[in-house]
Amino acid sequence: MLRNTRRETLVALVLISPFLAIYGLTFVYPTVAMVNLSFTDAPLIGPGQWVGLDNYTRLAGERRFDTAFWNTAYFVALSVIPGTFVAMVIALGVSRLTGRMQALVLALFFLPYILPVSVVYRLWDWTLNFQFGIAMYVFDIWGIERVPIFKTTTWFMPAVAFVTIWWTCGFSILLFLAGLRAIPAEIYEAASLDNTGRWTMFRRITWPLLWPVTALVTTIQLILQLKIFDQVYLFSTGGRPNDNLVLVYYIFQRAFVNNQGGRAAAIAVVLFLIVVIVSVLNFQLMRLAERRK
Amino acid sequence: MTNYKVTGSVMLLAGFMSTAAQAEVVVEWWDFLGGGDGVRMKQLIDEFNAEHAGDITIQATTLEWGVPFYTKVQTSVAVGEAPDIMTYHASRIPLAVSQNVLSEITADDWATMGLGEGDFASATWDAVTIDGAQYAVPLDTHPIVLYYNKELLSAAGVLTDDGVPMGMDSLEGFTETMRALQANGVKFPLGSVTADGNFMFRTIYSLVGQQGGELISDGEFLTGDNAEKLTNALAVLQDWTNEGLQSTYTDYPATVALFTSGEAAMMINGVWEVPTMTDLNAAGNLFEWGAVELPMIFDQRATYADSHSFAIPAGDMDPETRAATLEVMSWMLKNSLFWATAGHIPAYGPVTSSAEYAAMEPNATYSPLTANMIFDPKSPLAGVAGPIFDVMSTYFVPTLNGEMDPAEAVEEIIIELNDM
Repeated sequence: MLRNTRRETLVALVLISPFLAIYGLTFVYPTVAMVNLSFTDAPLIGPGQWVGLDNYTRLAGERRFDTAFWNTAYFVALSVIPGTFVAMVIALGVSRLTGRMQALVLALFFLPYILPVSVVYRLWDWTLNFQFGIAMYVFDIWGIERVPIFKTTTWFMPAVAFVTIWWTCGFSILLFLAGLRAIPAEIYEAASLDNTGRWTMFRRITWPLLWPVTALVTTIQLILQLKIFDQVYLFSTGGRPNDNLVLVYYIFQRAFVNNQGGRAAAIAVVLFLIVVIVSVLNFQLMRLAERRK
Repeated sequence: MTNYKVTGSVMLLAGFMSTAAQAEVVVEWWDFLGGGDGVRMKQLIDEFNAEHAGDITIQATTLEWGVPFYTKVQTSVAVGEAPDIMTYHASRIPLAVSQNVLSEITADDWATMGLGEGDFASATWDAVTIDGAQYAVPLDTHPIVLYYNKELLSAAGVLTDDGVPMGMDSLEGFTETMRALQANGVKFPLGSVTADGNFMFRTIYSLVGQQGGELISDGEFLTGDNAEKLTNALAVLQDWTNEGLQSTYTDYPATVALFTSGEAAMMINGVWEVPTMTDLNAAGNLFEWGAVELPMIFDQRATYADSHSFAIPAGDMDPETRAATLEVMSWMLKNSLFWATAGHIPAYGPVTSSAEYAAMEPNATYSPLTANMIFDPKSPLAGVAGPIFDVMSTYFVPTLNGEMDPAEAVEEIIIELNDM
């Protein structure tokens, strides 16, 4: 049959044009505008003067940018791998259950994920508040000195990472469960016929076959946690915001508190590049690891 | 032809007149009053609407206080969706003017409202004035005050016969009062919002003011001995922490709870908590309490205050709506005696000099502090929830809780302020 390629291209174009229009309007255009903005001294709203690379060069010597950058890195280290690990362990546990019991346990682990961040903040503030937090009364009973968890730099990031894992691991558990169910039962049957131990079974069968899901979960987590804002913002209200800064928080501060749209855009561009670089690196690393297996 | 035109215009004119006669002018109103004062403001709005039925209706929306409110105002002005009237902190006006968010209140406007400079305290009038022009109509001033539990103070023997705390005129005297309370078994003589540096800015700024210090002089932060004055202020508060005289790592709600539950005998907080105390006391759930001007810790009296004012957003506005908005502002000020039950000190002079106001407690006890009020420095960087707040908070919290040396904190603060 003769194919009218021109016609087909035309039809294809017509079919994808709504997507292209929306994508262009809501992603490409704002991104270009943001990069443009980052070279000006614009306030939050309205145009500004062209200042070249000024907004970028001054980031190098800025204390707040420094804090924000390292805090973000620290938070990612505290949440991505541990979060993935916790989710995998829970998923392995849940997958051993069956029927209603499994549904119930899964629901319990998934429950925090459906909470809005403000509720998560309230829950944990009530638990860990220095004067009235429930945990502090437990500390008193055990004779441990009370710790102002969200007001010290030592405990702030670990605590926020813990809360984040508690809050978001439900979704990763679901992904892992789906991955586990995709592994054919025959492989396990064959292995048990060979008298394989449980650990070997995990190391030789589950872990390699689950690898694509693990790679997916870490990548999702990585991108998500690089963009951390809500929890840090809420937990540091009134506390020590400038010591707890993360990159998105710093963008917020520059744009909405200091009214410096141009400088905020420069940080946003830097974060954008970091996310791109880190995700590509992560993806390559995962592929490399897969090939070595 | 001509005839037709004339008839047309007459009909058009008639049409206009009838709409003017029938339609109510709707005044879109935004505020950030979410607490006990918000309840009282709603009552005032209802009264206004009832009194102006058929002419003007206020359509009020309450939004989240702080950065969210001011960001929304800014974006709404930019796209022409701003309200007709909004509450505004006087301390935020310098920033607002630099962002072109506010419409000037002209001399004609003041005349229309029947208000003028003479009706306000000079510090308050000055707070809404930028380069000789006014950008808002002050509704109140809301300073911080010292709340105290009369029963606990009396039990510790530190309540005067007039029913106010002893030792209010010196650092030594006030510290003695707190020590007496501590010796008498009070857990926290002073409940302080030590977990919230934003809030403590008010207290610390007052103490800097009590030494005649300034935060910004000639556009520079903490010049000359002002850095030392801030250090002194922080040192006093840190000493209280080290002696166990004030609560540590306490956030705002916890501080109020410590005071109302009797675990803290005194508390430095805004006058906006007056309704909380009044309502609790009326319900029989609170001890006898009082509120006075802050103690004089250094050599002169000074108390931080801000002002809730009414502002009109920049942008086109039809004359009818503007007239209605002016009427709203004028009415609110002239009826602001009721607003005083929210703790705030009405800005409109004729109200505060009235006999009814003089009989109101505890307002009458702390009202004399109006003479010693200091407002935020006039800078786009200052003001509630402004850029300075985050810097201060970051170093106030560790210092107030005894983890950072005051002099070191001030050094860091200066570096960060200059990094903005």
